[in-house]
Amino acid sequence: MSGEEEENAAELKIGDEFLKAKCLMNCEVALILDHKYEQLQQMSEDPMNQISQVFEKSLQYVKRFSRYKNPDAVRQVREILSRHQLAEFELCVLGNLCPETVEEAIAMVPSIKTKGRTHDDEAIEKMLNDLSLIKKFE
Amino acid sequence: MFLKVQLPWNVIIPAENLDAKGLMLQRSIIIRLLDDFSSKKATKDLGYFLAVTTLESIGEGKVRQHSGDVLFPVVFSCLTFKLFRGEVLEGVVHKILKHGVILRCGPIENIYLSCQKMPDYRYMPGENPVFMSEKQSKIEKEVVVRFMVIGTKWLEAEREFQALVSLEGDFLGPVSSSMM
Repeated sequence: MSGEEEENAAELKIGDEFLKAKCLMNCEVALILDHKYEQLQQMSEDPMNQISQVFEKSLQYVKRFSRYKNPDAVRQVREILSRHQLAEFELCVLGNLCPETVEEAIAMVPSIKTKGRTHDDEAIEKMLNDLSLIKKFE
Repeated sequence: MFLKVQLPWNVIIPAENLDAKGLMLQRSIIIRLLDDFSSKKATKDLGYFLAVTTLESIGEGKVRQHSGDVLFPVVFSCLTFKLFRGEVLEGVVHKILKHGVILRCGPIENIYLSCQKMPDYRYMPGENPVFMSEKQSKIEKEVVVRFMVIGTKWLEAEREFQALVSLEGDFLGPVSSSMM
């Protein structure tokens, strides 16, 4: 990242180190933190010591903002989105916000429509349909 | 955005906690790492530190000359949360002010949405003040709002981020609770 001035997630300019980093959807974070919470309680004599405020607030947040709760559904969401040549960052924004229309999806992740990329409206529509199916059958 | 990152850190074990039994030593290293990690809270580059997910490796300890403490290089994976400019997220309103509202999102509590960045909304004073649009869309305490990040600021002393967000754009604004 050359300068902070240039950061713009809407154009997928978030710095190389973050583009390559693994991003996680809220529902994935909820599963991990829930499991971690149990682990910490078992492991330590004084568990509250290692459960920081950052941890607690994040756990509350991801529990409220997870569109998918069931671990199998969470895995499927990632699998479906992974088929669409998305950057990690884009994949997670879509999985978190679950847009209902193609228009909404593009507003949430404008970078999917930038030059040189192959997402036509039909492909995006198909992806959104697949996602809403998982939600229905969860 | 929640991120999974791998970090190399040094964990220092005080001489008196060193134990001949290997397992106990490993345990002290892990506990020390978890303590250090949660007290670190956040960094400017990686954002807020949530949790250590896996310990990848513990290197060979080096004795420090003066104290006799031992320093262990460790590599671990962890979860962090960082806001990016241009990112669209959802947050919860926790304060209504005359000139805007304050939201929380993940571990961040200081997310400011100025009234200038929601031109469709008017402040309505009262015991429970709200922001209302002509289309009767309402922003009040505990409402979920979808916003776009327009700027972030790192506060070194508090080890915290502040963010400025906006509702200028399509599909931004309060989210009806039935969708949640």
